Amino acid sequence: MIITTPKSLDDVLGYISPYKNILIAGCDGCTQPPRGLKEAKILSQLLELGGKLKGKDFKFKTTTATKQCDYFLTNSILKPQMDGAEAILSLACGIGVQTMAELFSELPVFPAQDTHFMGAEQREAGILEERCAGCGNCLLAETGGICPVARCSKGLLSGACGGSKQGKCELSPDRDCAWCLIYERLKKQNKLHLLKQSRLPRNHQLTGWRVTT
Amino acid sequence: MSEQIAGIKAAVEIKEDNCSRCSVCYSLCPFDAIKKEPETKKFLLDIEKCQVCGICYSTCPAKAIDILYYDVDSLARYLEKSKKEYKSDTLVIMCRGSAPDFTGIQGLFGISKFIPLSVPCVGRIPEETLLRALTMGIEKIHVLACDEDYCRFDEGSAIAGRKIIALNVLLNQLGYGKEAITLKRNSLKVKADSDLCIACGNCVYYCPYSAPRLESPGTVKIDLDACRGCGLCVAMCPALALDLENWERDRISSLVAELPVEKKSPSILVFRCQWASFPSLNGGVARNACIVDLPCASRVDMYHVLQAFQKGMDGVLIAACAEDDCKQEKASAKAKHSVAKLKERLSQIGLDKRLHFCTVAPRHPEGLEKELEQFSKALQTAGTKEGKG
Repeated sequence: MIITTPKSLDDVLGYISPYKNILIAGCDGCTQPPRGLKEAKILSQLLELGGKLKGKDFKFKTTTATKQCDYFLTNSILKPQMDGAEAILSLACGIGVQTMAELFSELPVFPAQDTHFMGAEQREAGILEERCAGCGNCLLAETGGICPVARCSKGLLSGACGGSKQGKCELSPDRDCAWCLIYERLKKQNKLHLLKQSRLPRNHQLTGWRVTT
Repeated sequence: MSEQIAGIKAAVEIKEDNCSRCSVCYSLCPFDAIKKEPETKKFLLDIEKCQVCGICYSTCPAKAIDILYYDVDSLARYLEKSKKEYKSDTLVIMCRGSAPDFTGIQGLFGISKFIPLSVPCVGRIPEETLLRALTMGIEKIHVLACDEDYCRFDEGSAIAGRKIIALNVLLNQLGYGKEAITLKRNSLKVKADSDLCIACGNCVYYCPYSAPRLESPGTVKIDLDACRGCGLCVAMCPALALDLENWERDRISSLVAELPVEKKSPSILVFRCQWASFPSLNGGVARNACIVDLPCASRVDMYHVLQAFQKGMDGVLIAACAEDDCKQEKASAKAKHSVAKLKERLSQIGLDKRLHFCTVAPRHPEGLEKELEQFSKALQTAGTKEGKG
């Protein structure tokens, strides 16, 4: 899932202040926590209240799209709803915002959120953590299903740095040391021999910028 | 503060003079709220432990227990007054946990006009009240109880059933026909709209009763037998795909929309958990407050809170049960968390002080009024007029 957090209402009010008729578009896709129709409505209410305090009278229309990053879907779902909109406020990740900006290029499209990373939610703890760095060279088969690229602070690919304390990272004591986790997992699976492999540092070229379908 | 509750500290009382020391209440109380004094053999009520479930009231053979919400004289006064107001000789007594709105009740019983009487639990309505209703010219009594496995009060629904069977036998002998009192059972449960579901899984995670489940690939399915009607899933659904029978989002929304705006300042809207505080039969709340009931505090919806602010209310008070009193699974804590989250966002536009979460309990009938007073004062101090209109 793509992990996002709401921007401060002040920032968003700043973006939209020159406009009156604004379309707020939620995204039912992979943004986490989900920012669908309900979040669109609640954001419109908060902005209306915030706007009034600043003497602004916005008119909001709220909607949602299945996946804002999909040009085809978003065009077919949202195009018919654009009538009268002077600006668009998107509740999608950065990808959705850019898709919208390209599809409706005559209108300003603003992000209502900051996009952080590809991650997973631990619901009980109420936290969302990065899990995949999109490196273009998946190592999970060799590391017990735990990604050192995304989860080791230093991005080390050939084992622990030596600074881990009681399973935690020396740079951020509340963060698990990825290589400790990998060690425990491989031990459990009787595959500790995998730790003897050494790897070259991450090749950033493999990430690439385009792939073909 | 209404006349009925002014000066009353506790909603339940043991009248020592009437007590025959039979100890039925003592042995039945599910909350250990009734203590026996070994020397005097008197029974004493520890009101702080009492959940006002009323099992002691239902079973006391000596009428030694009083519960404010089922007081025979207050109920009779209400019936006299309402008979004229509703111009009907049909009475519908319903449990507040299972009663749909006016139209829903009309459909359930196939009637067009009726006198509504909503009580915390119909199983606790004294026989005397039913008989008095018949003597004051009410011709037909319908009783709407919760389904037995949905009942929030100890044995309330089951006792209602037994009571009515016994009364009908008696009334038949007196010439009132075979079914002077009819009983129906009902539960209010969640409804899912698969077309809107985005399969995010929030309902599956939040439901304390494991009622919703997601089939992969697919959308949500609800096990209605497991649903207890708290509405937490509805509040947490980001796609507006869930709704709760009788407590529909749009219905609550229209209640908020129809609130009178000319209320005294500071105007306060209370979203009240239906189990946290029971309305008094004799009157309303402070003049600056309006109340919208919720099935459970965890159904509190940020959408409705913001709607109240948009409408120009100065403050919104969420009245929930304390965690130990919560009739659902940990729902009160969830409600508190949701309110804290919204306060965080409201603080960005300087409105956070206008939203307040409090806990009250029906054992202390004046509790909500006190909270309202305090919140009114806090709102006045904070200066409430910004952004109104």
